[in-house]
Amino acid sequence: MTDTAPALLLEGLYKRFDTKVAVDGVHLEVPAGSFYGLVGPNGAGKTTSLSMAVGLLRPDAGRAFVLGHDVWADPVAAKQRLGVLPDGVRMFDRLSGPELLAYTGLLRGMDPATVNQRADELLDVLALRDAGRTLVVDYSAGMKKKIGLACALLHAPRLLVLDEPFEAVDPVSASLIRDILTRYVAGGGTVIFSSHVMEVVERLCTHVAILADGQIKRAGTLAEVGAGRPLEEVFVEVVGGRTATGDELSWL
Amino acid sequence: MAVNRPGALRVFARLKLRLLANRLRGSSGQVVLFLGGVAVALSFTFAGFAIFIAPAFSDPEVWTLVSGFGGTGLVVGSVLLPLLWFGVDDTLDPARFALLPVPRWRMVAGLLVAALLSVPAAGLLVATTGLLVPAAVHGGVAAAVAQAVGVVAGMLLCVTAARAVVNAFASMLRSRRMRDLAGILLAVLGAAIGPAQLMLMSTVPNAELAQLARAAEVLGWTPLAAPYTLGLEVAAGRPWAVALKLVITLATVALLLGWWARSLESAMRGAVASGGPKVREAAGTSVGQLFPRPLRGLPASPFGAMVAREVRYWWRDARRRANLITIAVLGVLVPLMVTLFAPAHPANQAGREGTVEFSLSFSGEVSPLLLWSACVFVGAFAATVMANQFGFDATSYAAHLVIPVRGETELRARAVGYAVLVVPVLLVAGAVLAGLRGQPQDMLAAWGLLLVGFSAGMAVNMPLSVLAPYALPEGSNPFATASGSGMAKSFLAFLSLLVTFVVAGPALLTAHLLPQVWPWLAVPAGVGYGVAVVALSCYITGDLLEHRRPRLLAAITPKG
Repeated sequence: MTDTAPALLLEGLYKRFDTKVAVDGVHLEVPAGSFYGLVGPNGAGKTTSLSMAVGLLRPDAGRAFVLGHDVWADPVAAKQRLGVLPDGVRMFDRLSGPELLAYTGLLRGMDPATVNQRADELLDVLALRDAGRTLVVDYSAGMKKKIGLACALLHAPRLLVLDEPFEAVDPVSASLIRDILTRYVAGGGTVIFSSHVMEVVERLCTHVAILADGQIKRAGTLAEVGAGRPLEEVFVEVVGGRTATGDELSWL
Repeated sequence: MAVNRPGALRVFARLKLRLLANRLRGSSGQVVLFLGGVAVALSFTFAGFAIFIAPAFSDPEVWTLVSGFGGTGLVVGSVLLPLLWFGVDDTLDPARFALLPVPRWRMVAGLLVAALLSVPAAGLLVATTGLLVPAAVHGGVAAAVAQAVGVVAGMLLCVTAARAVVNAFASMLRSRRMRDLAGILLAVLGAAIGPAQLMLMSTVPNAELAQLARAAEVLGWTPLAAPYTLGLEVAAGRPWAVALKLVITLATVALLLGWWARSLESAMRGAVASGGPKVREAAGTSVGQLFPRPLRGLPASPFGAMVAREVRYWWRDARRRANLITIAVLGVLVPLMVTLFAPAHPANQAGREGTVEFSLSFSGEVSPLLLWSACVFVGAFAATVMANQFGFDATSYAAHLVIPVRGETELRARAVGYAVLVVPVLLVAGAVLAGLRGQPQDMLAAWGLLLVGFSAGMAVNMPLSVLAPYALPEGSNPFATASGSGMAKSFLAFLSLLVTFVVAGPALLTAHLLPQVWPWLAVPAGVGYGVAVVALSCYITGDLLEHRRPRLLAAITPKG
């Protein structure tokens, strides 16, 4: 079952906060081995959808499957195959980088020797070794993203779900993160990440979905969604937007 | 928002009221907690008003006593209670104004106005207006008018003192260099209550009313009670004293405002810019670094990792550290107070006449049961912090949702991590108690009951922490509370203390009914009972935690 199953399958996810419907029946199939971009304007429901997909937020309706395992009915099996970088880099940031990696690895039940070896490699590759015993709360935004990514990768998951991994990251760190993710996908892993930056999605992804008003408006391979046009053009057309007339903000 | 204009104070006031209203909107739980808080505040206000109005029906000496000691109690309470328990309402977090061009003094004035617009300040004002009645009865209209001015000045003093002291401690706890000093200062401040109360209690039974009135008069010349004794001075025909006491009060307010203004800069910068951390080279393996040296024997497993993380967090997180210090202070203070006021065991009195006389001179009627109840209370109080154990984690707790962690294992680890730090404090408390009583077996008896109280408290607080978690405000002030969370904290603490006493009842009864046997039973019984009830609670609550984690994360995530 799991060999042929999509890496991530969302079936009719629905979430309402008070009177606002944040996610309105999201269906999405992320093929194994794909590099999937989830784009949408602010408030479209990207973070809410991904939160429900990884078990951070219980949906009002619908189901989420990681490599065939139901995230809510069989969370242990699903989460063993899943690495997550949540929005706002939510982690225990009063630990140092090595401590946080050790904590994450041991919490996942990994063997301490493996944790030490992988933590060392990740700290070296992500250029976090120099931070020494500095607490993660004192890291820069880019360093926080990198240590978050390291935590997500530590147990060698088959699916990575990343919420805005390139937000507030300097070009050097962004390039490093891109390289690591590309290598991960080349090695058979699957990545789905949310982003506002169309260029990044076009450059990295094999697949893309456009989410607006809590619904998937377009989804497929980059070629299918773009149909020969730049992604940004398609995005603006799908989402709709306001065009400046030139008369506004004349006082500026 | 025109916070940089002269009319800014109105803007601050409106902003505070708007934020309060928005916070209450749409959340029935918050509204209930807020209304509960108002109800409790009303009852305290009514009680305070009754106390302050009472001298109107008595002789003027009582008026002097109530004004002097009552006023002092209010000012000291305004400083200590936010530090030790309630925190301060941080609806207007100074850090949010960091990018606005607001002069520092206007900022302080604005925050003061916002602080005055609160339920405790209003309650304080209403309660102390009770003093106007004895002033009018004993001193006429002029005394009442002077006292009215004093009541307003007194409220200003209490609010300013609370804010200034809390902010000073908050900025110390934020600073890596100063946080240990803050802990010591807080401990000293808390511990000072003991000797002060002792002095008072030792004076009261023997002193004449006139002597006490003289002490109250002296207090009236200090900032502690000066504003509350203005009416007295008019009645005594000393208008110059009214002016002088008003100057004392306002000068103190000005000094406190200056102090507050100085710590404001640190509060506006928040933790982000609290000095660039010195990079210390990491030594050893990652797993080795996670475990503090005394915990190196723990298994390198999910359980061991969570215990290590908990221990590190209790010290590294300023908010948790502030709670830990409070517990350490009260843990030693309560047995100290009870020992000094409770009589010794009748069986132990032989050969300790001095101690017994000393104790009995304060409270000859107090049963030894009180002493053992105090031990249970101290242990149970230490465990009340666990009632919102997940609230400390805030959004970091997401990590336990994306990694499959067994609920029971997590709860056990949290209990052990906290116990590692608190049990030594409890052992010291028991030793202090036995030292004061001069009976070694009292130490064993006390240890047993402290452990029973603590473990029963933890057992009770585990399900509470899963069923009734609440968010703590974001920001770097460890004493900051959202509106209503002081009420939530107090309600949960009261509930958990109540249930803890029921759970700890058998041990308490055994200690009381078998005073000869209990000291030898106490430690093994305390440890055995403690491990059993905590393990049972973790087992029962574990599944609940696993099921409720998403809801729990939503509840502890700070809202805007």
